[in-house]
Amino acid sequence: MKNPILENVRRSLEKEGDPSLPQRPAIFPSRKLESSEQEIDNFINEVKALSGSTQKLKPEDVTVALQTLVVENRINKAAMWKTPSIHELGVEQCLKKLGVEIVSPTANKYELSTCDLGITEADAILPETGTLVLSSSNEMPRAVSLLPRIHLAIVRPEILRADLHEVFAEAKQRNYLVLITGPSRTADIELTVTLGVHGPKELHVWMMV
Amino acid sequence: MSGAAPKYIGFEAYTERIPSGIPKAVQQATGRFAGGRALRVSELPQWEQLRQIASDIRMHTIRNMDVYLSRLEESVRAAGGHVHWAGTAEDARQIVLKIAREHNVKLAVKAKSMATEEIDLNHALETAGVETLETDLGEYIIQLDGTGPSHIIVPAVHKTKEEIAALFHEKLGIDAPPDPNELTRIARETLRQKFLDADMGISGANFLVAETGTLVMVSNEGNGRMVTTLPDLHVAVAGIDKVVPDWESLTVFLKLLARSATGQKLSTYTQFITGPRQTENEFGPKEFHLVLLDNGRSEILKDPIGRQVFKCIRCGACANTCPVYQNVGGFAYGWFISGPIGAIFAPQMLGTPTARELPFASTLCGACAEVCPVKIPIPEILRHLRRRVAQGDETINTTMPFYIRAAAKIGATVLSREWMYGSGTTILHFFMRFFTHHNQISNAPYPFSRWTKVRPLPAFASGFRKWFRKQKDFFKETVE
Repeated sequence: MKNPILENVRRSLEKEGDPSLPQRPAIFPSRKLESSEQEIDNFINEVKALSGSTQKLKPEDVTVALQTLVVENRINKAAMWKTPSIHELGVEQCLKKLGVEIVSPTANKYELSTCDLGITEADAILPETGTLVLSSSNEMPRAVSLLPRIHLAIVRPEILRADLHEVFAEAKQRNYLVLITGPSRTADIELTVTLGVHGPKELHVWMMV
Repeated sequence: MSGAAPKYIGFEAYTERIPSGIPKAVQQATGRFAGGRALRVSELPQWEQLRQIASDIRMHTIRNMDVYLSRLEESVRAAGGHVHWAGTAEDARQIVLKIAREHNVKLAVKAKSMATEEIDLNHALETAGVETLETDLGEYIIQLDGTGPSHIIVPAVHKTKEEIAALFHEKLGIDAPPDPNELTRIARETLRQKFLDADMGISGANFLVAETGTLVMVSNEGNGRMVTTLPDLHVAVAGIDKVVPDWESLTVFLKLLARSATGQKLSTYTQFITGPRQTENEFGPKEFHLVLLDNGRSEILKDPIGRQVFKCIRCGACANTCPVYQNVGGFAYGWFISGPIGAIFAPQMLGTPTARELPFASTLCGACAEVCPVKIPIPEILRHLRRRVAQGDETINTTMPFYIRAAAKIGATVLSREWMYGSGTTILHFFMRFFTHHNQISNAPYPFSRWTKVRPLPAFASGFRKWFRKQKDFFKETVE
């Protein structure tokens, strides 16, 4: 069936019958990653500048860090991604011991909305902007990083990427991707920046070193 | 005010009716964002190169829009999404209404989308019995308020926190203290329930990637994510000019967009949505519909100068830097799109009879062209549109009142014939002597009285050409 809008576009561009497509202009080349330590620090500084809370942790420190997080923020309910790393760190058991109710990440949206804490990993992190790159799947549902008021992302140096060129090259065939750069914010009321409008109010990033 | 296409935009008249608090509020916003932008630009030594590359990619896309739109449609369908083509605003409204009816939609939540304002979608949905809520905090506030946006990025910046608290009290029945954090918390809680209950999420698109059929959406608040993640149905409305070739080109636009708009390095959330959800438990819509809107764009593509307006990535930097916009804000532009980009978009979309004042709503200072991340030559397009208004062209007859055309013709005739100019000025000098007292002209006849009423003119000396002829010998010496 003919498409009158496309026909009109072709006519306006004087391209009737010409399906050829010249090469798209070239793009700026990628930047190169600096040393791992430098990039980790770059990333951490950017997240801090966005009012995110970050720390470098060894796996054995996770239990204490979780305890502090739960107590300071009065966490009653939490949901987390079902990934191998989160499983190995023993996050679920630790939280249960602290008396936190664990909600399945695939629970319905009303239940997930009552969670105080959502724990995820990331597919990639970008040091220039302090950005987390998250994809989506049955084990890594989108709502876990969106609905709870605190989002905790556990990341590793191996997922550092130089810039968006690299991220896109790896991820463009995915059906969903979100770049998270800091907690939810607005300046709509008298230009005063307030956090936690609809998305998480707090973003915590733990760098496992 | 934003919404149904206006019959006539009386820019000059509107500027005289702007409430007194507007210019100050707008200037605080524009100052903040322009300052933020300047800082970010200074951080990137390759800024000018990026602008040029972005401009080239956008022009390439415009010139080949038919091929990219075809690809986009294929890719979206391959990803399991539905594509609808809307020739006019009414077509688009009917398409969305049909989708809403078929899915028995009672409640719809909207992320900020200029395309939906262009087609006045909210009104159509409400009339059809669908409760339609704006969820962007600024848009939510002005929706409750029933007024229009004063600024593109922060539409409610003209409202004080006291006014917003009163508004929440009146419209939501909630006792709200005039504190931005508390007001934000109230909005969060009130809208949270709506997000969860909504049958349909409506959004626009910042970019549509032809390569994979991906919809790119940026937001800071998270409402964009809510609207496209929680309801089972997602409908996106976007102009055909939003298409971009591929993911690689996005790397350039995303580097420029947030920095130009608010001075952030990146917006808080940037989503890349390709079709409906693929698995049962990951959240996201079961059905994805993309409505591609023409509404006059395919006609504008005929004009090689005017079609550069489609390079726009909606950052708002032009408005933040414009001396006119800084003093009048969004209200005066009479339609959903304001500032310098509005002044070149509206006359082309609505036609010059409706929007003929807008190309003149500018001092042609060129500040906008300097900050535009995709190098749209806004002053050039403004002059092109002014010519269209004054003289007409292939698309339109002139709409200038006859007395201005007559005066312009007389002026052009006199200035191009030396004997006319010479004798004209001599006659003028002769008559002006009658109005010159004490070396001043303070009481000239109409139309010069419009000047001398306020400030006297100095008396005319002898004519410049006469004076120059006397200096001839002096100049002869220095030249030789």
